[in-house]
Amino acid sequence: MRKTYCGSHEHGYNRRAFLGGALAAGAAAFTDMTQLNSLAHSAMAGELKKQQKRVIMLWLAGGASQLETFDPKPGASTGGPFRSIQTDIPGVRISELMPKMAQRLKHTCIIRSLDTKNGDHGSGAQLMMRGRRNEATINYPDLGAILAREMGRADSKVPDYVSFYTQTEGRGAAPGDPGFLGSRYAPMELTASMMPENLKMLNGITELDHQQRADLRELISKKFSKDRTSVTLGSHNEAYQRVRGLMASEKLFDINQESQSVRDKYGPTQFGEQALVARRLVEAGVPFVRVGRAWWDSHGQNFETHQEMVPELDHVMATLIDDLKERGLLENTMIITLSEFGRTPGINASLGRDHFASAWSTTLTGCGIKGGVCYGKSDAKGERVVEGAMDAGSLFATIYRALGIDPQKEYFIGDRPVPLVNPGVKEVETLLT
Amino acid sequence: MRIFRLLLAAVCLLLAFQPVNAGDLLPAEQSIDRAINHYVQELLQKDHLQPAALADDATIIRRLTLDLVGRIPTPAETQAYVDSKDSNKKIQLVDHLMASPGFIRHQAAQFDAMMAPTGNPGSGRLSAYFNEALKANKSWKQIFQDLLLPNENDPKQKGSIEFLKARVSDLDRLTIDVSVLFFGVNVSCAQCHNHPLVQDWKQDHFYGMKSFFIRTVDNGGTIAEKEFGQLKFKPNKGSEKPATPLFLSGDKIELANFREPTSEEQKKDKERLEKNKANKTAPTPPAVSARAKLFEVALKPGNSQFFNKAIVNRLWHRFFGYGLVTPLDQMHSENPPNHPDLLEWLARDMVGHNYDLKRLIRGIVLSEPYARSSQYAGTAPPDPKYFAVARLKALTPMQYAVSLKIATTDPASFEKQKPEALEKKIEQLEGAARGFASLIAMPSDDFQIGVNEALLFSNNGRVVGDFLGEGQGTLIARMMGSPDSKQAIELAVRSIFCRPATNEEIQLFADYLQKRTDRSKEAYRQLVWAMISSAELRFNY
Repeated sequence: MRKTYCGSHEHGYNRRAFLGGALAAGAAAFTDMTQLNSLAHSAMAGELKKQQKRVIMLWLAGGASQLETFDPKPGASTGGPFRSIQTDIPGVRISELMPKMAQRLKHTCIIRSLDTKNGDHGSGAQLMMRGRRNEATINYPDLGAILAREMGRADSKVPDYVSFYTQTEGRGAAPGDPGFLGSRYAPMELTASMMPENLKMLNGITELDHQQRADLRELISKKFSKDRTSVTLGSHNEAYQRVRGLMASEKLFDINQESQSVRDKYGPTQFGEQALVARRLVEAGVPFVRVGRAWWDSHGQNFETHQEMVPELDHVMATLIDDLKERGLLENTMIITLSEFGRTPGINASLGRDHFASAWSTTLTGCGIKGGVCYGKSDAKGERVVEGAMDAGSLFATIYRALGIDPQKEYFIGDRPVPLVNPGVKEVETLLT
Repeated sequence: MRIFRLLLAAVCLLLAFQPVNAGDLLPAEQSIDRAINHYVQELLQKDHLQPAALADDATIIRRLTLDLVGRIPTPAETQAYVDSKDSNKKIQLVDHLMASPGFIRHQAAQFDAMMAPTGNPGSGRLSAYFNEALKANKSWKQIFQDLLLPNENDPKQKGSIEFLKARVSDLDRLTIDVSVLFFGVNVSCAQCHNHPLVQDWKQDHFYGMKSFFIRTVDNGGTIAEKEFGQLKFKPNKGSEKPATPLFLSGDKIELANFREPTSEEQKKDKERLEKNKANKTAPTPPAVSARAKLFEVALKPGNSQFFNKAIVNRLWHRFFGYGLVTPLDQMHSENPPNHPDLLEWLARDMVGHNYDLKRLIRGIVLSEPYARSSQYAGTAPPDPKYFAVARLKALTPMQYAVSLKIATTDPASFEKQKPEALEKKIEQLEGAARGFASLIAMPSDDFQIGVNEALLFSNNGRVVGDFLGEGQGTLIARMMGSPDSKQAIELAVRSIFCRPATNEEIQLFADYLQKRTDRSKEAYRQLVWAMISSAELRFNY
């Protein structure tokens, strides 16, 4: 009986030796079916096309309320005090707290019908960062890690995956996680400062010595590599080869490099400044940047919280859309707004809203996504989805598809094929351009 | 593709697990290393493959010291081994290392990492238990029993409860982890087969195995087991039904009280557990423990194949960096070993010698395949499953951090010491290395080193502080005190790379130093940095 799967370990091994790791940066354990399948369309062309795609995720940590943002229910018993306003999509209204986005929905697709069934901060965040639940023996890579692997390049001089999460609330619940793809695709996490760790040279060494010391290191390692074949060894050399380029990318994190007029547009808030850095990063070719904004968990005083935070989101999101559009980047850059869940339509005794995953909203803008679309529907009180229910899996399949990545593409753990989305999960075609 | 999978899945069902006929195996009294040599060589010849040459002495002592006690050897240790003319020197070295406290510490760390739930490598929770277990040279069978049926009243088992504690809130995970870790089978793995029959097969096995854990509960911080309880599940087709306790081999188990309790029984059982909780005592065991039943069933002849082969495969993987069966949790008929007789022979030996872990470890590291070079010149090396060439293993965070410490300490401080004093010094270095180890990722199979590690080495003050100091007792201080740069270079290479420097290296490094005579201290530091961050120290080769 012949083994029928390709992508077995030995395949990957020899293919890597053959390619010299130039194009595929992944481990042999995660071989890429499409590149072995001669019937697939040219992998090269696909690669080049994908190279240009980027994602900025605005991660609204703690659970932003759909009722005070993209799915308001004014007049309903669950509606709260805010009104809704007309937008540039005929018949679609959003919360009055978002006047700027109301004028820009022609670029955006609102999804009002997420039903994700998980109202826990930790596992909810895990689910919404991965598009599926971890299994007992498989820790799945999150969106950032998968895009780093699919759209990053082995020799890239910029990071593959950057994650800002400056506030402390909920930070531990939603760390960036490369899962089984391993630390090669781990995010560059920025928590304490706007500048990543270990990018700046220490005092006591000159630029030239730093460079030449690295050259010497490489020479020694090359000698050691003679007649030795190992995926891990290759990755070790690649990691050090990227150091100098990444150090040069330090200025990408420095908003002082931007003109005052651009900085004024984004505004002086931390969220605004990090969104501006995110734009600088994607412009330089970083595949995935997450900007976390905490803490939306309004069990008490829901309306004050949202009155304070939604206008900032409105401003930052609108500025980002304008800026990307102006630079011709919007058609290749997707902006995602996402939380771990939404908030209950019912208002509790503390005038708060609690965790709610049965009918909530997200938005996708740009890159391969139809603008001016409002997809799915919740009922009059916002208690359940009545049209176009979407779970985390189909949201992710849609995102992958819009970025030109086949959601059914398989990685391999040993000889076990693991598709990017679980079997049977489908994208929502109507949202794609 | 799919159609093939369906066929495979169907065939999978027809193929019973076929053990090799014991009568065809090499005799049981053969030594382990010889059996390994025989079977590995046999297949290489059959497939006309050339193995790599044997590694040289300096490489062997480095490999053995890293694998057995978790660190590189000191220059003095390497020197003594290379210079020795004793034909038994390798055996003596292995026995010496295995008798040292470092062996216990390192293997305990390895077992702790192996037992960590997916995604949190080496929590350290079970280290204390494994330290004691390995000190007492407990058998693998005994360790399995301690972890599955921990007795909190026994001081010798201290910490064994952590295995269940880490999983008691998620019985699916407990079921899968026990199957993966002790039986080499992943009961959640049949996802790629969409065959309805296999789905059933999978479900029955999964819920059958889970039935052994269904009564296990957290009882106020201790692990207790209820007297009753039955698992019901909804199969893919049809309505909800009770699961049948079932071992992986398909062996159906009669389990007393495998039913829902009457309200009277339930009340009584609850009182028993409440009493334990109130008295803060270890739980009194139930009359019939389902977990104890699993232990009994798993070791029954006919069923014990799973248990025996899984530990052989795990230890083999630990020392070769690649399993006799890969991946480690896919030991089933569809994924046969490349050396079935060898696996069979080693499993039989394991049982025949009361699951003695040290015995198998010693046999493996004395074998010829273990002693091969990691270099393969000319053509592409044979597939890893032939064990024809040694595989590079990325060091674990702790191995790496301790080795960095040893490499950058003045070699003289390891010399002329009594063995106890040296052991104490090494243990101190291990303590000092822990902090740095926490910054390094735990490797897995086909691990890829990320750029974060390279940036850490390139630009973090901690590397300078921990390894590039020039104070008393450091390598750099000693280099700066050398009569000339050639001797300084030779010293550094011996200390960091555990071998003599080549002429080419001496030339290259001397040039580097020569160009920086105006800042020679920095030049030494840069030279040492380039060596400690290079691939040669990063790997066990």
